Amino acid sequence: MRKGWIWFLALALGLAWAQGQQPIKIGALFILSGNFAGYGKSGSQGAQLAVEEINARGGILGRPLQLIVVDDQGNPEVGVREARRLILQEKVNFLFGVDSSSVSLAVAPLTDEYKIPLVVTHAATPALTEQCRPYVFRTSNNARMDAWAAAALAATLPVKRWANIGPDYEFGRVSWQDFITRLKQLRPDVEVVSEQWPRFGSTDYASFITALMRARPEGVFSTLWAGDMVIFARQAKAFGFFNQVRYFVNPVGAALEVLAPLGKETPEGLLVSTRYWFLYPNTERNRSFVEAYRKRYNEYPSYNAQEAYAGIHMLALAIQKARSTQAEAVRRAFEADGGLVYEAPEGRKRMRPEDHQVFEGLVWGYTKHSPNYPFAILDRMRITPATDTVYPTQCKR
Amino acid sequence: MDLGFYLLQLLTGLAYASTLFLLAVGLSLIFGAMGIVNFAHGSFYMLGAYLLYAFSRGQAEGFWTGLILVLAAALVIGALVERLFIRPIYRRPEEYQILLTYALLLILEDLVRFLFGAGYRSLPTPPAFSSPLFLLGTPFPSYYLFLVGLAGLSALLLWAFLYRTRLGAWVRAATQDREMLEALGINVPLLYTGVFAMGIALAALGGAALLPLQAATPGMAVDAVIQAFIVVVIGGLGSVWGALLGAVLIGLLQAFGILFLPEMAMVFPFALMALVLLLRPWGLLGRPPAVRT
Repeated sequence: MRKGWIWFLALALGLAWAQGQQPIKIGALFILSGNFAGYGKSGSQGAQLAVEEINARGGILGRPLQLIVVDDQGNPEVGVREARRLILQEKVNFLFGVDSSSVSLAVAPLTDEYKIPLVVTHAATPALTEQCRPYVFRTSNNARMDAWAAAALAATLPVKRWANIGPDYEFGRVSWQDFITRLKQLRPDVEVVSEQWPRFGSTDYASFITALMRARPEGVFSTLWAGDMVIFARQAKAFGFFNQVRYFVNPVGAALEVLAPLGKETPEGLLVSTRYWFLYPNTERNRSFVEAYRKRYNEYPSYNAQEAYAGIHMLALAIQKARSTQAEAVRRAFEADGGLVYEAPEGRKRMRPEDHQVFEGLVWGYTKHSPNYPFAILDRMRITPATDTVYPTQCKR
Repeated sequence: MDLGFYLLQLLTGLAYASTLFLLAVGLSLIFGAMGIVNFAHGSFYMLGAYLLYAFSRGQAEGFWTGLILVLAAALVIGALVERLFIRPIYRRPEEYQILLTYALLLILEDLVRFLFGAGYRSLPTPPAFSSPLFLLGTPFPSYYLFLVGLAGLSALLLWAFLYRTRLGAWVRAATQDREMLEALGINVPLLYTGVFAMGIALAALGGAALLPLQAATPGMAVDAVIQAFIVVVIGGLGSVWGALLGAVLIGLLQAFGILFLPEMAMVFPFALMALVLLLRPWGLLGRPPAVRT
C-alpha cells in the first residue's frame, strides 16, 4: 500500500514535469519535391541545425523546440492544405519557412484565422509584408531590397544600355520594375534596349540569348534563379554572351544551389548577389556557423540554409522575450524597442516594427574561380549597407 | 547583318524544335500504335539525362559511350516496363493507364532523387563541340547543330523503319486494326513491347542529348510531359509527323515571336494549341475520330 503511494507521487510529478517539457512545435513548409527541392532541402537543414542548437542548451522557456517539416511542392493549394493540417492536427505553435512567394501569400491569411504566427525565411515578394498582417514576419530580405541594392550598384557602372531577362511571373516582373525605376531615379541617362521574358522553368534559352545579343546591351539585369539560371548560364556562355555583355547583374545568381551545379562552368566576372554568402563576413560567428553546418551536413551552407537557421533563432529570441508562445505576445516581442535585433552569421538583422520586414546589409561580388573550391566564389565584394535598401512602407503600428 | 541574325534565329528555333521532337515523338508513337497515354513519358526523358550523367561519371569525355549505353539501357527498361506493367492493362478502361503511368512518374521522380539527390546535374559540352562555329560572323554553338542533326536523323530512320520495312508496316497496321493483325498470325504483344521500348528509347535519347545544354532535376519529368503533350496536341496525338510539325511550329514561333512581341514569349505555344483545338481538335496531322453509326 505504501509503495503504491510512492508510485502515485512519482507519476504525478512525472506528469507535471512532462507538461513543462511540452515541446514548442514549429511547422515548416518547404519545397521538398520537383525542381526546387534543393532549396527546400537546405532550408530545412538550416532550420534543423538551429533547433538542435537551441535544444542542446535547454530549449526555450524550459521547453524543447520541435520542427515538423512538410513538402508544400511550391503549390499554393498544397501549402494551404498542409498549413491547415499542421495547425489543426499537429497543433503547431508557429508556421515557418516557405520558399515560394505564391505559397506565402496563400498561407498568410491563416495567421489571422488561427492566431498562429508565420515566420517567412525565403519567399521574397514585397507584397507579403506590405499586407501589414499582425502575425506575419519575414526574417530574410525581400526582392525589392535586392532590386534596390542592384540599382545602387548599377548606377556606379559605366553602363547606359540596359536589358532584362527574367522569369515570366510576379517575382521576375516586379524585380525588373523595381530595379529599372530605381536606377532611372539614380541615373536618368540609362535606356532599356530589350526585355526578354522566358517561361519560368524554361529549358531552352537560345532564341532569347541571340535576341538579347542583337540589342547590344552593355548591362543585363536578370532574376533567373535555380535551374533556370544554371541552364541559361551554360547556354549563354556557349553563345559568347558573357564576352559581349560587359555587366551581367543578378541578385540571386550567387546561390550555392546555382554555383555548385555549374561548377567550373560558371563564367567569371558576373556581378551577382545572394542573401547570404558563406565566406562573408569573415567573423568568428560566421566561421563557426559554417563549420557547424559542414560538420552536420557535409556541404557549405547556402543562403536558404542560413536564412532558415537565423529565422529559427530570431523566433526563439522573440518567444524568450515574450515569455510565451501566444501570437499577440510574440508580435509585441518582435516589434518592441524599435524592432527585434539578431546577430546572424551574415551580420545584424533588424526587424522593422511597422511591416515586420527584416533589413540587413547585402553582399555582392564578381564570380571568380579559385583552386580551393569546386565552384566559383565571389571576388571584389561590394557590400550594400542595410540603409541603402530601406524602402518606405505603408504599414503602421 | 540582319539576314545573318534571322538565320541565327531560325537555327535556334530549329534546335529547340529538335529537342521537342525527340521528347514528343515517342509519346505519339506509343499512343498511335498501342493506344496507351503514357504520362510517364517525361520520366523516361529524365531517366535518359540521369543515366547519361551516371554512365559518363559527369565527365564530358564519357559522352559518346554514355549516349550508346543510355540507348541500350532505355530499350531494356522500356521492354521490361511494358512486359511487367503495361501489358496487364491493355484491355482495361483508360483510367487504369492514366493511374498506372502517373504512378510510374511519381516513383521514378523519387527514385532519381534517392539516387542522385535533389540538386541539378549536368555535363559539360563534349570536347568535339567545345568551340563555336562562326555563321556570318556570329558565334553559334556547334552542339545545337548536332542536336538538329540528331533529331533529323532520328526522324529519317523512323520514317525508313515505318515505311520501308515489313516490321514498320505491321506497326502501322496495328494503329488501324489490331484484331486483323493478330488474325494474320503476327505476334502483336511482342510487337507492342518493341514499339514501347522504341518510344522510351527515343525519349531517353532526347533527355540524354540535352544534358550538355541543360540540367537534370527530379522535377523535369513533369515539365517535359506537359511540353510533350502540347506538341502532340498541336500535331495530332498518334501521328509521328504531327510530332515533327508541332515541334517545328513551336520552335519557330518562339524564335521569331520574341522578336516582335517579346512580352508574350510564354503565350505562343498555348495560343497555338488553343487555336488548333478550336479549328482541328484532332491536331494538324491527326485523324478525326471515326463517326460510329
